[in-house]
Amino acid sequence: MYEALSCQVIEISRGTMHDGPGLRTTVFLKGCPLRCLWCQNPEGMSAAQGVWWEERKCIRCLACVEACPSGALWDNETGIHRDRGKCTLCGACVEACPSQAMTFTGQEWSLDDLVRAVLKDRDYYEAFGGGVTVSGGEPLSQHRFVGQFFRRLREAGVHTALDTCGSAPAAALDAVLPYTDHVLFDIKILDPALHQQFTGQSNGVILQNLMAVAETMRQNHWGRTLSEGHALRLWIRTPLIPDATATVDNIAAIARFIHQNLRDVVERWELCAFNSACKRKYDKLGLTWTYEDYPLMDQHSIDALERVALAAGIPREKLVVSGLVAKASA
Amino acid sequence: MGTVLLDERVADTAPGGRPIADLAPHSGVVMKVPPKFVQSPRIQILAQRSRELAISGKRRLGTEDMPLGDHACWIHIGPFPQLDELPSRANGYEATGESWGRDYAFLVDHFPVDIHRDERIVGEIHWEMHMVRQYVWPDSVREVGKWAAELGASGYSSGHTCPDLAIGLSQGWGGILERIKESREKYVRLDNQPKASYLYGLQMICESVIGFIQRHAEKALELAQAETDPWQKQTYQRIAECCAHIAVNAPRTYYEGVQWIHFAVIMDRVVGHGNGYGRLDLYLIDLYRKSRAAGELSDEEAREYLSEMFLKLRGQFFSLGGRDAELKDATNEMSFVVLEAYDLIGDYNNLGVMWHPGINRDFYNYACDVLARHGESIPVLVNYDLMREAELRSGVPEEDAWKVVYSGCQWFCIPGKEFCDQDVNSINLISPMKRTIAAAIDRGITDFESFYALFDEELTLTARALREWKNSQYELLGSLWPEMYTSMNSHGPIERGIDMVDNRGVDYQYTSVNILGIPNVADAFHAIRKLVFEEQRYTLAEVKEATETNWAGREPMRQRFLNQGKFGNDLDEVDAVFVRITESLARILGSMVNLRGQEFRASLFHFQGHVTPDAIGATPDGRLAHEYLAHGINPQVGRATEGLLATANSIAKVDQRKFQGGTMQIELQPRFFDGKEEIWKYVRDFTEVFFKKGGIQVNLNIMDLKKLQDAMDHPENPDYQNIIVRVTGYASRFICLPRSYQKEFVERMNYEGF
Ligand code: SF4
Ligand code: SF4
Repeated sequence: MYEALSCQVIEISRGTMHDGPGLRTTVFLKGCPLRCLWCQNPEGMSAAQGVWWEERKCIRCLACVEACPSGALWDNETGIHRDRGKCTLCGACVEACPSQAMTFTGQEWSLDDLVRAVLKDRDYYEAFGGGVTVSGGEPLSQHRFVGQFFRRLREAGVHTALDTCGSAPAAALDAVLPYTDHVLFDIKILDPALHQQFTGQSNGVILQNLMAVAETMRQNHWGRTLSEGHALRLWIRTPLIPDATATVDNIAAIARFIHQNLRDVVERWELCAFNSACKRKYDKLGLTWTYEDYPLMDQHSIDALERVALAAGIPREKLVVSGLVAKASA
Repeated sequence: MGTVLLDERVADTAPGGRPIADLAPHSGVVMKVPPKFVQSPRIQILAQRSRELAISGKRRLGTEDMPLGDHACWIHIGPFPQLDELPSRANGYEATGESWGRDYAFLVDHFPVDIHRDERIVGEIHWEMHMVRQYVWPDSVREVGKWAAELGASGYSSGHTCPDLAIGLSQGWGGILERIKESREKYVRLDNQPKASYLYGLQMICESVIGFIQRHAEKALELAQAETDPWQKQTYQRIAECCAHIAVNAPRTYYEGVQWIHFAVIMDRVVGHGNGYGRLDLYLIDLYRKSRAAGELSDEEAREYLSEMFLKLRGQFFSLGGRDAELKDATNEMSFVVLEAYDLIGDYNNLGVMWHPGINRDFYNYACDVLARHGESIPVLVNYDLMREAELRSGVPEEDAWKVVYSGCQWFCIPGKEFCDQDVNSINLISPMKRTIAAAIDRGITDFESFYALFDEELTLTARALREWKNSQYELLGSLWPEMYTSMNSHGPIERGIDMVDNRGVDYQYTSVNILGIPNVADAFHAIRKLVFEEQRYTLAEVKEATETNWAGREPMRQRFLNQGKFGNDLDEVDAVFVRITESLARILGSMVNLRGQEFRASLFHFQGHVTPDAIGATPDGRLAHEYLAHGINPQVGRATEGLLATANSIAKVDQRKFQGGTMQIELQPRFFDGKEEIWKYVRDFTEVFFKKGGIQVNLNIMDLKKLQDAMDHPENPDYQNIIVRVTGYASRFICLPRSYQKEFVERMNYEGF
């Protein structure tokens, strides 16, 4: 028997090509213990429901303002504003809005519905060697759900990938790993103090969890072997954030860490170039964002970081750079 | 796993196992795509000439005010000088095949003969029949047309069929002429004057074609005599020899075969209507093998002859792949050569690759590679088995159904055996939808099922109007505008003495009809169900008033309708409405027969109706009056928010065996594939799954839309001269399109990712 579980979803993205092998559906879950300054999914930080407003879709009809029973909304020339203190998240404004400008940040999905939804593209997963990735937010913050979700997908023969920042109790990992085919593990910053500074937490637990994943792979203690097709695979991901993670020191440190501790289990290390496309989300939430004016990285800096990684002993075939890069200037 | 480079990368490896001896290095030839084959200097000259003709407007299709692209075969050199002497003008017009044939022969007899230096494949045309001969329907017919148009049904018959060129390739024009004469004598003897007269018309046409080819032989000989360059002299001699032979006889070699097909197609284009031409790989395979075995044909020559033909024919429809009579894969060596011929020159073309689960892997891989590298929706990928089943379902027997061929935009037919008026008839679904809303208000309808039942009635009314309208044309079509040239390479017309468009001239004469606005009506019905019948937020009377006034003063209401679930996002509830409408179309049209006693068939496609929305007005899907309608079976632009796979799933829910085509049109940005290698694999894997799920056709453009936007304003920029896009069913040079088409195209941006 399955438990009647549900989860809070930010978004379901179909046909993704950058969240694990092949063509995938990525389910973004709500809630994350970290507070990375550069967070690309700020609506996913909080595990709690929220309401946000999108200027592009708003026709300024003020139906939301009229509908709010708590007087939490008001408008001025810059848009519709909400007093978080007064808002009870009753949803009257969402219901009143004709244009989906005012919406909840998360939707509740039952396990059955979510399984059904992601299986719609199953034929494509098969053809492209892909599957389903859960990301976030931090998926391990809803680990009971994710464990059961993966279990169901495993039963349906669908490849599963966990995209995690690693910040979770060991038990959370234990609930999910048995049904996971692929782990995308973030190492953002190796220096604990800097990690604390940029993400709000130290990285002790994160690295412990990473070692636990590696240990699992080595011991293969669920009896899964390559020939059975369920060998766990591990990709490390590092977001390249200017002045934060994308420093020579940090990349060199991560490279050394991987080389010394994980070279037998890491299949790929992906450096994901930063872009500011998610500024729109901060606007929708009525937040300002430290990184909103940061330009794309240029090829020179990327090349330099790549050289640092190679010099630390990372084999070229394991190193991948993804994301947008500014065209080289003369 | 190598480091992925961040610039735009295109795979330049040859997929599949086919040894390609002359793989080109990256440098050298200037082309938009990394070339697989090096263009010889000769092909470069011919390609340049072809491009100049297109860019200078000498290939223009449509009028100067409304150019529809540059995919015309004929080359403008001014009006036909002997226009006043045209028999039907000089001696009086008659609506008969004989009179039609006399005009055709007169026109062709006055064609100049063009043979250019460096060419090996020769033959050009400068005028089409519809420019010189009147094609006017009597008022009585036009009255029916007006009435039908008010009900949403329209379309004047004009060609759109496909000959079986295998007939002429095996019999030669001489053989065809003999059959015409024999048949004519028979009907003279039996005193069937109309048939004898029709056949006399055919005879004049056939003789003019033979004469035209013979004049090429004579001219080439003259040129050879005056020529001093040895290569050019020899080339003229070869042309002379070839034309002298194939004017009357069946071709003996591959070279003669290509030249024969070239003439066969351009002389068909003289009629001026949109035909397809059949399976080029099957037409040529025997001659190819024969010439290869004789050691007289190199890989490069085989390619170049076809490249030359393509440069002159300008995107006529040919097909490749599919199955044979035993339903085994029909792919052969020629299938590769044809694609290579396009690969060599790029530019545009309308080749269709007919996929099926057992298709030669190397060939399908190569087709996807060509498509991905050039990014110009060439070839079009279609699902052969579904086309065959659609033909079977209409009643075509097994022994003919396998011959089905992708022949135009979205349509297919049995070459030489089918005249179905493909792609010219139209039902505009917005019309019955509007009447449904009005009727539902009158009758006080309060639930969706009753509402939909009314729609069924109104749709039936529109379909009947179409039937009356087409039948009124069919009574006269054979005498007013017969397809006599195409009839010569068809099965039936010569022996029966009946034109292929006339009753029983060929065996299959269904009536195909394009449907405009299905996604809009599905979206509208879903919104009405939700907001009027379920939530009762609005009344139907409000919906009617709002759409009639283009939502003036009702923006919140419009937003409400616009923000309901939309077709194309894999939402079962909305897609079910869409499928239901298609089922209604199949049932209603399928239960009616035309004058020939054969059924009507819907095609889930419309090649241009969506671009001229003004007369239609706003619609309850939240669309404003000036916005384009959805393109064929594709979601309205901006409404597919869940990505390509979701839309593909929505489209695949339709049972395509019940229709005559329905294209999924995809525009992707090159950055879509940033950092990805072997893009062709994505094309292959996606299309194969889509086809297995029930999709029938994929048109895929991989285009930088920013560049196209800029090209609209700077058509003179040399970088923009050769951008080819698949507009709807056909490909065209972007800068040669009318602005409204360009605008519609650049606004598509439907898919940000899979
Ligand atoms: S959720 Fe309820 S309380 Fe909060 S702003 Fe909207 S209407 Fe007001
Ligand atoms: S109801 Fe929606 S559209 Fe109207 S003002 Fe509020 S957010 Fe904007």
